[in-house]
Amino acid sequence: MKVWLVAGILGLAIASTWAQNTDSKQDDKWVAPPDAAAKTNPLAGNADAVAGGHKLFLRSCAECHGEDGTGVQEGVANLQLPAVQKQSDGSFFWKITNGNVKKGMPAFARLPEAQRWQIVSFLRTLKPSAPGDGQPTSPNAQ
Amino acid sequence: MRTLWLSFCSVVLFLIPAKAQEAPYFVTYDHHLEEPRNLEIGTSTTLGVPRSGPRFYLAPYMELEYGLKAWWTTEFYLEGQSTNGDSAVFTGWRLENRFRVFNREHRINPILYIEYENVNEATRIQKEIVGNSPSFGEPNAELVNTRSHELETKLILSSDVHDWNLSENFIVEKNLSASEDFEFGYALGFARPLGTMASAGNCRFCRENFAAGLELYGGLGSTNGFGLHDTTHYLAPVISWQLSDNASLHISPAIGLTQQSNPVLLRFGYSYEIRGFGRKVAQLFGGKP
Repeated sequence: MKVWLVAGILGLAIASTWAQNTDSKQDDKWVAPPDAAAKTNPLAGNADAVAGGHKLFLRSCAECHGEDGTGVQEGVANLQLPAVQKQSDGSFFWKITNGNVKKGMPAFARLPEAQRWQIVSFLRTLKPSAPGDGQPTSPNAQ
Repeated sequence: MRTLWLSFCSVVLFLIPAKAQEAPYFVTYDHHLEEPRNLEIGTSTTLGVPRSGPRFYLAPYMELEYGLKAWWTTEFYLEGQSTNGDSAVFTGWRLENRFRVFNREHRINPILYIEYENVNEATRIQKEIVGNSPSFGEPNAELVNTRSHELETKLILSSDVHDWNLSENFIVEKNLSASEDFEFGYALGFARPLGTMASAGNCRFCRENFAAGLELYGGLGSTNGFGLHDTTHYLAPVISWQLSDNASLHISPAIGLTQQSNPVLLRFGYSYEIRGFGRKVAQLFGGKP
C-alpha cells in the first residue's frame, strides 16, 4: 500500500512537471465564427459589470494571463496588445466560452453568460502599461 | 481509537475549503474539467442509515484532482468507513481520468471517464451506484478481507443551456479480481447558479456564490439481469456554497427511492483549490514559469 501511495505522489509530481503548458503556440484557426463575433456585449458601459469582471478575471484568468493581462507564461496571449484588443466583444466572449482546449486554453462555459460578458467588459479596460510590453506573445495564442 | 481517529480526520478535512462555479453534484459528472495545473484538494463524507438495523455508517473520502491538460483531468481518492458499534477501516483507493473529446463547446459535450478502484467490500462512499443492492449487514472485520480490483468506465454527456447544466452519466463497472458480470448504473443531474452576475466586492452570502440542483442516480443491474429489479436509487437535492475564491462547501441529502436503498444518505464535502500548483512544482524542479 505504502509503495502505491509513494508511487502515486511521485507520479503526480512528475505529471505536474510534464504537463507544463509548452504546447501553447499560435493557432490561426482559433477564430470566432462571424455570427458569434458579431454579438454585442449587453453589459457594455456598466461600471459594476467591469468591477465584477475584474474579480472574475483575477479568479479565472490571471493564473496564466497575469493580473495585468500581459501573460505570465510563454505562448499565452498578452491581452493588452492592440492586435488582441481589436477583436470584437463577441469574439472575446466566444473564445472565453469555448476555449482552445487542445492548445491549453480551458473553456469557461461553466461560468454564467453574464459573468463571461463581465470578463469581456473588464478586458476592454486593459491598456498597455508601456510601449513594447509583452512582445513575445501571440495575439492568437489562448 | 480508530473510530476516533477517523472521525477526527473527517472533521479536520471538512474544515479545509470546494471551488466556485462548479456544478454542485456529488455523484453526477459534467463536462467541465479542472483547469490545467490547478490542484483541488477535497474531502467529502457519506453518512448513511441502512433500512434494516440501527447502525449508521460514516464514509469519508479525500480527493486530489489535478488538471493535467485542458482536456485531461486526473483524480486520486483515499477512502475509509466507520460503522456505529463496529469499527473504522481504510477501504481503499481509486484513480480516475476524464478526457474531453471535442475542442469546442457543443450542444452535448461527451467526456470519457475511466477509473481503477482498489477497494474492499467495506466501501460505503457510494460515489457511483451500480449493479444490484449491496448488503449492509456484515461486520467490517469480514468485509475488509474481500478486496477487489475494479475497472469503471463512464460516458458523460453534459450540456449548458442558459446557465443551466444538464448532465447524464452512463456507467459500466467490472470486477477484475472475480468472475463477476459487468454492472451498470446511471446518474442524471441538473443545476444552476442562484445568481448570474458577479458583484464587485467579496461577499460570502451573495446569490452568485450559491448553486443548486437535483441528482437522480442508481443501479441498473448487470449482464446477468439488466433492469431495475433489486436495485438502489436515490433522488438528491444538491447545493454548493463558494466560501472564498478557492474554497467551497457542498451538501446533499439523498432520499432512497426503493426498498433496497438506504432511506436517507447525507453527503457533505469541502474542497480547496490551489491555482497554478503544477507551475509552482515545475519551478521547484527548474521548469519554465
